[in-house]
Amino acid sequence: MIARFLFIFFLATTIQAVTPVDSTLQHQIYYARDRVMPALVHIQPVIKNYDTGELEKQAVIGSGVIFHKDGYVVTNYHVAGKAERIICTLNDREQVPATFVGGDPMTDVAVIKLDLSDYEPELHIADFGNSDSAQVGQYVLAMGSPLSLSRSVSAGVISTKDRYFGSEVRLPSGERTGRYNLWLQTDAAINPGNSGGPLVDLSGRVVGINSRATMFANNIGFAIPINIVRSVTSAILKDGEVVRSWIGLHCQALQELEGYFKAGRDNGVLIASIDPGSPADIAFLKAGDIILELDGEPVSARFVEEVPLFYSKIAKVTPGTEITLKVFRDGEEYPVKVVTRQLGDLQGEDFEAAKWGFTVKAITRQMQIDNSLDDTLGVLVTGVKRSGSAGGLDGLRRGDVISKINNVRVNGLSVFAALYAELSKDRRVMIQTNRNGAIRYMVLKIEEEEKVNE
Amino acid sequence: MNKLSRSRSYYLIATFVLILFSAGSLFAQNFDFEKLEEKTQRFTVIVDLKIEMAFGVHTSEQTDRLLGTIVDENGLIIFDGTALLGDQSIPGLSGMSVKITPIRIDVTTMDGQEYQADYIGSDRFTKLGFARIRGEGKSFEFVEFQSENNIKPGDWLALYMLLPEFITPPLAADIGMVSTVITSPEHFPLTVGFNATQKAAVLFNEELKPIGILGALVDPGNATTDSNGMLESFGQFRMPLLGLLSVKRLQELIADPPKKGATDRAWLGISLQALTDELSDFWGLHVPGGIIVNDIVKGSPAEKAGLEVGDVIYAINGDTLEVNKDEKISLFQRVVVELGPGADLELSVLRPEGSSWKELSLSALLEAAPLAASDAPDYDIDGLEFKVRSLVFSDFMRLNQEPDNFTGVVVSEIKLGGPAEVGGLRIGDVIQKVGDTETRSLEDMIETMNRVELEKPSEVILFVWRQNKTMFINLKSAWN
Repeated sequence: MIARFLFIFFLATTIQAVTPVDSTLQHQIYYARDRVMPALVHIQPVIKNYDTGELEKQAVIGSGVIFHKDGYVVTNYHVAGKAERIICTLNDREQVPATFVGGDPMTDVAVIKLDLSDYEPELHIADFGNSDSAQVGQYVLAMGSPLSLSRSVSAGVISTKDRYFGSEVRLPSGERTGRYNLWLQTDAAINPGNSGGPLVDLSGRVVGINSRATMFANNIGFAIPINIVRSVTSAILKDGEVVRSWIGLHCQALQELEGYFKAGRDNGVLIASIDPGSPADIAFLKAGDIILELDGEPVSARFVEEVPLFYSKIAKVTPGTEITLKVFRDGEEYPVKVVTRQLGDLQGEDFEAAKWGFTVKAITRQMQIDNSLDDTLGVLVTGVKRSGSAGGLDGLRRGDVISKINNVRVNGLSVFAALYAELSKDRRVMIQTNRNGAIRYMVLKIEEEEKVNE
Repeated sequence: MNKLSRSRSYYLIATFVLILFSAGSLFAQNFDFEKLEEKTQRFTVIVDLKIEMAFGVHTSEQTDRLLGTIVDENGLIIFDGTALLGDQSIPGLSGMSVKITPIRIDVTTMDGQEYQADYIGSDRFTKLGFARIRGEGKSFEFVEFQSENNIKPGDWLALYMLLPEFITPPLAADIGMVSTVITSPEHFPLTVGFNATQKAAVLFNEELKPIGILGALVDPGNATTDSNGMLESFGQFRMPLLGLLSVKRLQELIADPPKKGATDRAWLGISLQALTDELSDFWGLHVPGGIIVNDIVKGSPAEKAGLEVGDVIYAINGDTLEVNKDEKISLFQRVVVELGPGADLELSVLRPEGSSWKELSLSALLEAAPLAASDAPDYDIDGLEFKVRSLVFSDFMRLNQEPDNFTGVVVSEIKLGGPAEVGGLRIGDVIQKVGDTETRSLEDMIETMNRVELEKPSEVILFVWRQNKTMFINLKSAWN
C-alpha cells in the first residue's frame, strides 16, 4: 500500500515537472539553442608557459563562438592569448585548426581564426545582442565545454549586470584585468572549460562571453558584456590590437567620502592615487582632487560601478591627445590639461634562456609601475629552472631584474637576447641583478650539453 | 670452551669494564650539595612571567614559570628570556609583526617572599631576560660571578633547576661535564648532561664558585634577519649546544641591561652578499672570502666611511673574512652587532676599477641600528580599535621608499569587528593623513587622534598608502 502511494506521489511530481511549465519558455530555449549552438566552438590550444624557468607547453581547454563569416571566433585571452597552436572542434564535431589573431588581456578577450580550407559545410554565425539592455533576472543560457565536456548547455538568469572587480584580478599570464569593464553575473553553471563560451539570451543573441567562475561557490559565474566584447573584437579585426590612452589615475567611489570632500556636492570622480611619472602626475593632479568634467562633458562616479565608465572615457581618447579636466580642489574649480599616453602592453615579451636555465621577459611601463621598478631597462626573471645552471644558485629568483651580463648593461630584451646568443659558448657568465634596489652578483656555470650515445 | 661461550664471556668482561668506567665517572665529581643548595637558595627566585603575544588581529596570553637569579643588590634578576624574543617582523607580510609584551612579572624568593618586578629587556645573543624587583629600597642577596679561565674537558659543573609547581621542594641539583672548549666563533665551554629547560641557571664548579650560567651557543647561520638582511636575532642549532656563558659577558650585561624598545645593536647600513669561490675566481681575486656591498643606506656609517656599491670587504679590523658562502655572512654581521654602536671598524676593501681592483683601507664608525618593527613605539587608538606604530627602516625597504620623501604611521594591529576592520583598514597600511591633517610621525598621529577623540565625528577619513597606491578610508565609529 505504502509502496503504491509512493509510486503515485512520484508519478505526480514527475508529471507536474514536465507538463505545466510555460511551454513558450521551453520553446524559447530551444529557439535560442538552435541559433547559437551551431556556432559554438570547443577550443584546444597548446599554450606557452614560462613560469618554471623553461618554455613548457600545456594543453588547455576553452570555448568560443563564431561571430564572423570569415571564420573568426571570439574567446578569452586566458584561453588563446598565449597559444602556440589551436585545434577547434565545431558543433558538427569536425576538427579544424585555428590561428591566434589578436587579444586584449585588459578585457580578457581574444580573437582566433578558423582555417576553413578543408571544411566544406556552411559556417554558422552567432549574432551579438545588446548587453546594455540586458535585464537582471533575464533568462540566459551558457554554452561551452565545462571540464572539457563539449556542447554543453546550462541555464540560469542574469544575477546582476554591474559587477566591478577593479584591476586587482590577474590572468594566469600575469596581466591585470577588468579595469575598464563591468561584468554580467549569472547563475547559469560556469565551470573551467566554459571560458570563452557564449552567454545567450532567449532571442538567441550572445549577451556575454563567459570568463570566470567562483571557486567554492554555487553558480556565481561572470561574463564580459558583449558590448565590450564587440568593441574589442572590432578593434582587433581592424588594427590587430586595442589601443588605449592612459594618464595614470586610480579613482575611488565618491559616495563614502563626499561628506568630507565637498559639502552638498554628489557628483564628480574622486582621485585616490596617481602613478608616479604618469601624465596625471606631470599635470600635478593629486589624490583628493575631484574631476567634474572631461573635455566639457560632465563625469561622475559616485558608486564604484561607475568608475570603469570614467576610465574607459579616458582610454577612448587617441593617445597623445591633450584633454582638459575640470578639477575641484580646496573649494575651487580649475581646468587641468593632461596629455595622454598610450597604455601600452601590460606584460612584456617572454624569452627562454634555455642554456642558462631561466626565463625572462621585457619590462613594460605598466610592469615598471606595478612592480615599482626604477625604469623599464633590464629584463625581469619570470622563472628559474631548478635543475638548470641557474637553479643551483642561491641568487637568482623570479622577480629579479637582470641589469648587467658580463658587465654589459642589459638595456631591454633585445640586448639580453643578443648577449645570450653571443655568450652561448661561454662556460661562465657573470649576471648582475637588482632586487629591491640592491644589486647582486652571480656566476652562472654552464654545464656542457650531454653527448647522446649513438 | 666453545666459540659461543667464549664470545659471551668477552661480552661480560666488556660490560663489567663499562660499568666500572661509568661508575668511576659517576663518582668523579665531588660537590658538597648541602652547602651548594644553601648558597643557591639565597639568590634564586621563581619568576612567573605573564606575556601577551599579538600578531595582527590575534592576541593571546601565556604564563611561564622560570628560574631566576638575583644579580645585584637592587634586585636585578636574570632568567631565560627566549619566550620574550619571539618578536619578529615578517617582511613578506606587509609589515606585520609578532609582538611579545610581558604584562606582569611575579617573583618569589626561596623563603617565600613575593614581589612584583618590572621588565627591562632581553639580550638577543644570550637570550637572557632582565627584570628588576620592586623592592622599595630593600637590599637583596645576589650571586657574585667569578671568572674561571682554566676550564677544560672533563671538569664537572653543577646547577639547580626548577621543578614543576606541585613538587616540594622546588629546586633540584643536576650535574654536567665540560665536553670540549669551543674556540670559534667564540670561546665557549660546551657541556653534556644538561638540558635546554635549565638555561639561565647559575653554574658552579666543584669549589662551589659561581663561574657563569648555562647558555646556548647561538647559530650565526640560523639568524633571523629583517628585509635588509640585518640581524634581528640569532637562532639556535637544531640540537642546542649548551655550555658556560662567560662571566665577562654576564658582567657587561648586568652593568647595562638591554632595554626593550632601544637598540643595542650596531649596524653598518649595507645590503650584502658573500664572495663565493665562483665570484672570486671570475674576478680573479686572491682572497678566501669576503662581503660584497650590494646596497648602501643613505646617511649610514657605510656611506660616511666612503664604501661604494660593488666594493668587496675582505678583512675587518685586520682579520680576514672567510665568508665564501651566504650561510657565513652572519659571522660578519655578528662582529658588527657585537662591537656595538660607537665602535670603530677598519675595513680592508677591494674596489673594481675598470678590469682591475684597487685596494683600500676605510674606517667606519658604527652607529646604532635602526629599530625593528616590533620595537617601534606604537599607539592604541581605542575609539577606532586599531594600533599604529612609527615607520621604521625595514618599512622603507619593504615599501621601496626613501625616508626623505615618505612619511606616515603604520597600522600594526586591528581589532576584529571594530570600526577599523569594518571600514576596510588593513595591517601594514601607512596612514599619511587623518582628514586634512598630515600624520608625518607618531607624535602627529597621537595629537590628531586626541583631537578626533574629543570631537567624536561620525566619520574619520584616513588617507593611506597600500601596495604602491594611495586611497581614502572612511571609518565610522559610535564612540562608545
